[in-house]
Amino acid sequence: MAGRLLTYLIKISWSVQNIAVAAVVALMTCLLVFMLLYMYVKSVREKKQHKWRMISDMLINKAIFYEDRDEIEDQILASVLEAAQKLIVNRYFRKFIAGELVSAKKNISGASADSLKQFYLQLGLDKYALKNLESRQWYVKAEAIQELTIMHTDEFIDQLHTHTNDKNEYVRMEAQAAMVQFKGFDGLDFLNSISYPLSNWQQIKLLQLLSLKPPSTINIDKWFKSDNNSVVIFALKLARNYHRFELHDAITECLDHENADVRYEAIRCLNEIYTDETADHLISRFLQQGLKHQVAIARAMQNVGSKKDELFLFDLLKHESDELKLHAARALANASKEGLLSLEKYSKESEEAISQILMHIKGENAA
Amino acid sequence: MSWQTFILHLFTYGILLYSIVILICYLLIGAFSIMETRSYLHKNSFTDYRMLASSTETPSMSILAPAYNEGPTIIENVRSLLSLHYHNLEVIIINDGSKDDSLERLIEAYSLYKADYFVNQRLKTKPVKGVYRSSNPVYRKLVVVDKENGGKADALNVGVNIARSDYFVCIDVDCVLEQDALLKLAKPFLEATTQRVIAAGGVVRIANSCEIEGGRLVKVNLPKQFLPRIQTLEYIRAFLLSRMAWTKLNGLLLISGAFGAFDREIVINCGGYNSKTVGEDMELVVRMRRYMEELGEPYKVAFIPDPLCWTEAPSTYRILGRQRNRWTRGTIETLRAHKKMFFNPSYGILGMLSYPYWFFFEFLAPIIEFFGTLGLIYYCFKYAVNWEAILIMIGVICLGILYSIFAIMMEVLTYHQYKQKRDILHLVLVAILEPFVFHPFVVWSAVVGNFDLLRKNNSWGEMTRAGFAPNKKI
Amino acid sequence: MKILVAEDDQLMMKMLEFRLRKDGHEVIITHDGREAVSKLDEFQPDLVITDIMMPYLSGLEVVSAVKKKYPTGTPVVILSGMGQENVVLEAFQLGADDYMTKPFSPNELSVRVRRFDMSAIK
Repeated sequence: MAGRLLTYLIKISWSVQNIAVAAVVALMTCLLVFMLLYMYVKSVREKKQHKWRMISDMLINKAIFYEDRDEIEDQILASVLEAAQKLIVNRYFRKFIAGELVSAKKNISGASADSLKQFYLQLGLDKYALKNLESRQWYVKAEAIQELTIMHTDEFIDQLHTHTNDKNEYVRMEAQAAMVQFKGFDGLDFLNSISYPLSNWQQIKLLQLLSLKPPSTINIDKWFKSDNNSVVIFALKLARNYHRFELHDAITECLDHENADVRYEAIRCLNEIYTDETADHLISRFLQQGLKHQVAIARAMQNVGSKKDELFLFDLLKHESDELKLHAARALANASKEGLLSLEKYSKESEEAISQILMHIKGENAA
Repeated sequence: MSWQTFILHLFTYGILLYSIVILICYLLIGAFSIMETRSYLHKNSFTDYRMLASSTETPSMSILAPAYNEGPTIIENVRSLLSLHYHNLEVIIINDGSKDDSLERLIEAYSLYKADYFVNQRLKTKPVKGVYRSSNPVYRKLVVVDKENGGKADALNVGVNIARSDYFVCIDVDCVLEQDALLKLAKPFLEATTQRVIAAGGVVRIANSCEIEGGRLVKVNLPKQFLPRIQTLEYIRAFLLSRMAWTKLNGLLLISGAFGAFDREIVINCGGYNSKTVGEDMELVVRMRRYMEELGEPYKVAFIPDPLCWTEAPSTYRILGRQRNRWTRGTIETLRAHKKMFFNPSYGILGMLSYPYWFFFEFLAPIIEFFGTLGLIYYCFKYAVNWEAILIMIGVICLGILYSIFAIMMEVLTYHQYKQKRDILHLVLVAILEPFVFHPFVVWSAVVGNFDLLRKNNSWGEMTRAGFAPNKKI
Repeated sequence: MKILVAEDDQLMMKMLEFRLRKDGHEVIITHDGREAVSKLDEFQPDLVITDIMMPYLSGLEVVSAVKKKYPTGTPVVILSGMGQENVVLEAFQLGADDYMTKPFSPNELSVRVRRFDMSAIK
């Protein structure tokens, strides 16, 4: 019985094997053909792009040297635009020419930039971008937002604003960046309503974009109360970067925030924005914090601390964490003129580790 | 039924089952890799790395480069590390008790002086003999540590202790990095919101026959020698397919020891590199993942497929054999140290998928292949030619070739480093030759590795490298 | 005037080349910092325009190389996407003669370049 079953199984497996081998060979051939075909299509497209590139180069050159135009120049321009218009129904051409114009516009300002924008509008590329905003693929959407932003077509601001809380990370990142590009600090009002977290990356990007805009004294502290922790953190970074000393009290309130990352950012922020009372605020919360935050506080004491905090700092030198000791010692050395001296005195009376830390700090001060 | 037919059938069906499982794995890896690669490339097109390079808000990063007897090339290599684009950067060179004049060369070239430096010993290491800094402000990013010899893991632990940054990147000092390598490696950490990114792995590509000048890659060439060329294919397959697919599943276990970034806090919390294993790079990632699983916090190991790091591959069978032998031992040691996770559902993907995959395909596969082939040959000579089994084996080989060709296609479609049509043809040719020439040797080395480990022969297998002499074209 | 331009972005280079040629200058194209420095001797430019973030050698290194070679002559104009105060300060400390940030106005560049031409005639 078992023997018959086995012979039967062997028969089946023979045919299974044959099919499997045939399938593998067929797949392999398919892949090879596909690869060769792809290489061919790619080379054809590259040849086509050569012609496209001539068109885009002409347009960009015309934009760069725009002031002395005469009739002949105008005629050339008109014919180039016409050639481009004929090709514009081609999806790949559209992507190509929009990409070229956008990357040129990114690097250029002034009259030349304006004429690049004019070409962009003349070719009707903004209409296509607007259509792409409704695409179901996130990258098409995000690309459209980027394009409209760089081309500075402000009439679509409202459409772009609706995407600042899009479910796709990259779409909302581009839309938020667009708001800041168009309206500077006022563009940040999307922070009132976003429900998704702002990644660290996005915060860096927004800060970078803002640094190119004129500073403004908009109301930041309302965001300290946001339910979105990343918004609070971003607001703290804004306060720190723009030295908003008047927000000191609001920032100290963030030291009691329930989220550890917010508390950490608040400590970092007080490192730059501080008054005589800051040290007391930090010290009073020291024991409730984890080691990472304690280290941050010790580091902040270097700026914030003064002679009256020496007792606290000497206490820290007894802590088991070497990192805390190092920061505390550095803070002591900077707290007052006699700081280093009293540290030396302390070192002589206590154990080995402090003397190494002392040497380290002396070395730092010398360098 | 005689016992011979029984063994014959067991054998045939065993191989059949094995090949079906491999087929399914290949298909899944291919599919996941395509998905992950597409999404990565789309995301990358929206990333302005220049913006990141000039920002002062980026987290701090340290490069840890352990050096052991790298005298002839160390000056150039350090110079290229110092010129990487990143704002908050610190370059830590750890001289692991070199017997040559590496340290003296560094001191002279970068006007170093011995600094009073307090080393926070959060990880236990061999003693540090001195910490050197430059008196020239241009090299303020540079820290050179001189320590007693203790192996790569120990050297990296010293680096982790000395570093002051949030993240560190460990590299082999003789690797050639692209200028924007750190920016790309930093990105996953910055993008994390709901999951903590604990590590990010990079791709290692093969630099043999490439033109390298002053510690920088000038021109990419396909290696001219056979062994490095076949390893080029192997690396493409591993990085573009396998690791990409595992990243999609968030089950990546291995970050190349030659190039990867780590969250320093977590590395310290779980004890740093283990100097008792020869596979310290894999062991660390597994331990970090295990630590996060046990902590119950959401986390991720990221992977960047861009070719950012170029290194020289072994070009002789002797050195290659030693390298593979060491890899095998590292894998087994890591698996053994964390066997608790084997099919343990409380470790999620890590326990149910990643670990078993490594166990069956990285650890067992060479052994099965070796003894399977040996058994088949024996059987054919002793009794009769077992055509079924041979046919299945041919099928498996074809499958392997197909998989390699798919990898080459992914490379052409994504990064396309080897521009000439001839290069692609060469790669395909190599893919067809590999199962007959290269693969048996790799399997053999792995089997020897198993034996060596059984004999407790934990030698290091010092890798002699040709080295990139300045302005020398290789 | 003979102008050496160091810029790794192709489109950017094309725009610079076009504008400067139209203005009647001779343009020497280099794609990275190292190429720029190596061509200094061969072409003896009257002006160097350089980006900062480039492969091999950064623009700041180009500035110091030019200033080392020609302590008094050959002005260097930096044209960079980096506008942070510390970078600008460092550039001028190293001896840069002018600093423009991207996005730049081609018309403005043209005028600024002409200024260096006038001083050369004088």
